[in-house]
Amino acid sequence: MMIDLTDLTDKNLKKIKIDDLTHMFMDSINEQNIKLIEGIEYLIKEDFDNFEKNLNYVIETEAEILIKKAFEAKIFKSKLMFSKADRLKLFSKINDIKAIGEFLANRMLLYKVVFPDVEFKLRIELILKYLKEISMNIADAVKSIGSDLSHAHDICEHIKDERRKMRKEEWGLLTRLWNYDMDYLSRTFLYLKEMIEGIMMLADHIKKFSEYIQFLATKYLYFK
Amino acid sequence: MEYEIAGIIVVILITLAIALSFSIGANDETSAPLAATGTLKIRMVLIIGGAAIAFGTIFLSQGVASMVGEKILGPGIKYTVFMLFAVLISSIIWLVIGSLAGIPLSSTHSLIGSIFGVVIVYALFYGGVDPATAFNWEKLGSVVISWFLSPLFGLLVTFGLYKLIEKLYLSKKKGLNEIEASEKKFSWALLIAIIFAEIWVGANSAEALGMLYALYSNGEITLVTYYIFVVICAILAFLGLYLAGRNVIRNLASQLTDARPSDGFIIQLSVAIILMVCTVIYSVPISHSHVIVFCIIGLNIAKKKEVDYGKIGKMIIFWVLTFPLAALMAGLIYFGFLSVGLY
Repeated sequence: MMIDLTDLTDKNLKKIKIDDLTHMFMDSINEQNIKLIEGIEYLIKEDFDNFEKNLNYVIETEAEILIKKAFEAKIFKSKLMFSKADRLKLFSKINDIKAIGEFLANRMLLYKVVFPDVEFKLRIELILKYLKEISMNIADAVKSIGSDLSHAHDICEHIKDERRKMRKEEWGLLTRLWNYDMDYLSRTFLYLKEMIEGIMMLADHIKKFSEYIQFLATKYLYFK
Repeated sequence: MEYEIAGIIVVILITLAIALSFSIGANDETSAPLAATGTLKIRMVLIIGGAAIAFGTIFLSQGVASMVGEKILGPGIKYTVFMLFAVLISSIIWLVIGSLAGIPLSSTHSLIGSIFGVVIVYALFYGGVDPATAFNWEKLGSVVISWFLSPLFGLLVTFGLYKLIEKLYLSKKKGLNEIEASEKKFSWALLIAIIFAEIWVGANSAEALGMLYALYSNGEITLVTYYIFVVICAILAFLGLYLAGRNVIRNLASQLTDARPSDGFIIQLSVAIILMVCTVIYSVPISHSHVIVFCIIGLNIAKKKEVDYGKIGKMIIFWVLTFPLAALMAGLIYFGFLSVGLY
């Protein structure tokens, strides 16, 4: 779902509440994440045009910058009692997802790799599926913070489980990669290794983000 | 000659008592949680807090003042000017020692301990008074027992109040937005609780008013003069908080910015209830700071947070030692006065 840029003017954004700005920001970043993941899926299918199109979208889109400016202007003037610092940190962590995604997109555009075999492709597709799921989940968790911290806590627990599964798949992939009969200084090897590392970097950040949301839940909720 | 010295001592006593009122205001930290919430500007917090202390001092302090200034003494015994002087010197020295050593001591405990010391020395060495009848032991006993019971009840009241509010209200708040909105409401409730607490802090602060009541009781000043000094002490307590207390409150408030207004409300309401009961029903001077410490402990226990019992144990040892050590110090000072013929 693409964010409609034409609606995003300074004037319109000024009317939106802090919570809604955070949700919009999260949706924008999540959308870019999905585009990135789908771009890598195109790469696996060797559809290089759509691969480039998707990754360039991630790099070039600036929809979230307007939202970020509106949020920063609003939060410092707000009369929030004690959650101001936490809301700022939350926003910053969402922003970090964008930064990592953009970094990964830039690196992946350096070369158009051809995957070694079908098995490798299937394994990469599997961890991308997990990554897509945890990306959607973290967006849901962020949107639940305002209304139901307990639900956000549970979503984050699920994210941590999914990331553990990604780790197992990662080791399987790396083992497979290191056992291919290829030059370890070749572009293909280095590219695939860095692609896996980049995907896991994004997953790790989402996992740490989910731990932070769980920390907020324990901080603010009265657990029985 | 002795009368001239006594006259000068009365003036010094009155001056010290008024200065004590200023220092009570200057050291009062009750309003800090309200300042931390940012609900009101700090100047307004100080004005409201100071006005509440002044109100309590003027209108509600007589019970505790008369307990300290007259009722704890035995039949036929009255304070002399030099006894009061020894009490004040001892209290001040003990508090200065505590401040320099970084130990939180109770001014109430040191005052009553000093009174105990001088009266016993008076009874033993001045003659004519049986130490067994030097005090109204029932009243003195009630004062001492209240020092143990008031913190304990503070802990229990806070614990109970927290559990009640948590069950009926706080645990039903699910999202950050709801929690933020409810804490905003609690910040206004905290304002009411702090006004309530400050009134009883003013009413229960016996140090200055007890000395002044003693001067009235032994005929050094008239009742009208006593009430004039009460009003002056109230004004000085207000000024103490407004002028000198602002830094204490500002510093403490900056450490409390993560504290919830709901927690502050529960603690201050508990403190106010304990102070009110001790002031109105029993007219006993208690240590406000001890009650607050135990209320905080009660809240931490209720929230299942860690409590540093070792640190508390050390604090209790100092609290318990204050009474006998202040008694010893005051007794020695008064004995010195007796040795040079100043009774």
